[in-house]
Order: sequence, then structure tokens, then C-alpha cells
Amino acid sequence: MKVIGTPIPVLLAGLLALAGPALAHSPICNCYDNGDGTVTCEGGFSDGASAEGVAMRIVDDSDRVLTVGEMDADSTYTFDRPDDEFHVIFDAGMSHIVTIFSGDIE
Amino acid sequence: MRWRTKIIRHGTTALATAGTALLIAPAMAHFQMLYTPEMALSSGQATQLLMLFTHPAHGGPNMAMGTPEAFYLISQRGDAAEPVTTDLQEYLEPIAWHSENGPVDAFEANLPRNLTRSLGDYVFVLEPSPYYEPQEDKYIQQFTKTIMNIAGVPGNWADPVGLPAEILPLDKPYANWTGGVFRGIVIADGEPVPYAELEIEYINHAPDLAERRFATDAEVDYPQDSFGTLSIRANAQGEFTIGLPRAGWWGICALEVGADTEHEGKPLSQDAVLWIQVKDMQ
Repeated sequence: MKVIGTPIPVLLAGLLALAGPALAHSPICNCYDNGDGTVTCEGGFSDGASAEGVAMRIVDDSDRVLTVGEMDADSTYTFDRPDDEFHVIFDAGMSHIVTIFSGDIE
Repeated sequence: MRWRTKIIRHGTTALATAGTALLIAPAMAHFQMLYTPEMALSSGQATQLLMLFTHPAHGGPNMAMGTPEAFYLISQRGDAAEPVTTDLQEYLEPIAWHSENGPVDAFEANLPRNLTRSLGDYVFVLEPSPYYEPQEDKYIQQFTKTIMNIAGVPGNWADPVGLPAEILPLDKPYANWTGGVFRGIVIADGEPVPYAELEIEYINHAPDLAERRFATDAEVDYPQDSFGTLSIRANAQGEFTIGLPRAGWWGICALEVGADTEHEGKPLSQDAVLWIQVKDMQ
């Protein structure tokens, strides 16, 4: 009997889909100023999945990365607020990206 | 079936001159309101809550509330997170709500932003003190839930709180389209209540939190007395489904489902109230 193999790209795509956090659902991120020189961002997905491990980048107006990190087990990420304008990128991969501008962080 | 308040709202002149007015006086259901203007917010912010015991389908009459026995919040951000309970009694502020029958005692709570700024679900729970209804010579205690959400991350909206009388939502109370349906289960001490009697009312006069009064104008006119308070029964599993024909706030009340049936020597009705918000597709 001839076994028809599954193309490797299809397998890889399947594995990526399984590994990614809630790819079929919307990414959500919200940040607030703690009033002590730090900003806390919270992440999640519209199906309630955890955002633990999601990559976080703090970027200045010239798209220079200032800080990198990831969401912790509580789906939060806290960083020192830069002096100048910046934006926060919540990057869950596979185009599941949320960008928050510093002017919107209160 | 609970005897419902029947009040002529146009004064003694109407009573004296229009005998038929007695026949068309609206049947109205008591509802414990736990109201905030928006249940589904895009981001966290300070939250104002109104607690008023009223007849929402007719914008009153309103009844004086005693100090609540408990007022708290259970919040949860995401499925995996642990729910967090926060006592809110320190935020209770007595207010006078302006009514046709004069100012009545109600409560307001202004919660600081740090309490409601995180993503997720916020289950507000009000356990009022029993209200003595002289027209029925009984006490009514309505355990009330209002569930708010920040930014669309779900949490504990479907979880029971553990109240003596409770409506467990099967659909998100804060995410309902006009023309859809809402489903729930009536439970008492965690167990379904077969064939529970339910009443449903629309907030037909918009609450004005700044002026502390309902709008004078009604949103809808009722073609007949049965339409102001919709009465249905749950099925054998305590489940119910209601249609949502109009945007706004709807209250659902399960009558006399709690185990305690007496308070200070009088009959006690322990009811469960859940509020839902409905929006038009635009």
C-alpha cells in the first residue's frame, strides 16, 4: 500500500496553530500608568486564554526598540515609562498584534 | 404568582373621575436595580453604580432601601486567572432618588478607577436587606447581579456566586444584540429551580444619575398590561430563554426561589435578579 505523506509545510502550519495562543481569537491589550514612573500592560484574548509568554516591545517614535520582554503568568508586563513618546507592541504572532501609543496610556 | 403593585399614578382625581382607571392600572414588578450606564467598556475607568428598588417598566413607584447586607465585586481576567473578591461596602453612599411619590432612599457607589481598570469581567453583587412591602404584608429580598466587562477579555461571567437565590447566565449579560435571545438558569444555593417563575422588565425611563431621577418620557408604550412585566416560567431544569426586542437594559427576576421564607415573623420572598444590556447592530 502506498502511503501518501503529508506535506511538511502543512504539518508545520498545524503545529504553529496549536502552539500559538488563541490564534483564532482577537488579541487584547490595555496599559495604564501606575503613577510611580512605571506602566503596566495587561493582555488577553477574546476567548479568555492567557497571554503568558506573549512578546512585548516598547518602541520609540523612530521605531527603535527601547525594551523587550514578555507577559508574565498573570498576563501582565510592567516597564519604566520612557521620558519621550513611545508605543507598546503586544505581539502574539501570526498578525495578532496590538499597538498602544503612549498618549493613550493614562 | 406574586401579587403585584397596582397603583394609580395620576392622583386622586383620576381615582374619583375615572372608574375605568382602576382597570387599566399597570401591574408592576419590584426590581432591585444595580445600574451603571455601560456594561461593556473598551477600557477601564471609574465606575458609578446606582442601587434603587423600583418598578423599571414604569419608572416607579420607587421603594426605600435599607442599608444593604452585602455589596461586593468578584472580578476575573481570563479563564485561567483566579477570581478576586473585593468588598465594596465602604463605597456605599445613601442618596435620595427623586420620584413622583417623593424622594426615596437609594444608594450610589463611585468606585475609583484602580478597582475597575483591569481587563476582564466584573460581577457586582448586591445583597439588599429585606424590604417590607405593606401591600403584601411580606418582605422581599432580591439578590442582584450586574456583570460588567472591560475590553472583551472574558472571565467569570458564567460562574455562580453562591447566593441563596441566583440567576446563572448562559450568555454574556453585557454582549447582546437586539433581536437575539438571552438564556439563563435559575438556581438556589447552587441547585436549579424547576419551573421557577420569572418576571422580565425593560428600563423604560432612562435613569439620570446626575439628577437622580428617571426620565419623564417612556421609551415604549405598552399595548396591554401583560407587556410591561413579562411573566414566564423556567423549564424542568430551571433554564429559561427570553427574546431581546429592543436595545437598552432588561431586568430578569426569579421569584421566591430562596430557601428562607420568613423574616421578622412575616413571609419572605428571596428573589434573584440579573441585569443585561442589549445593543442595536449599527
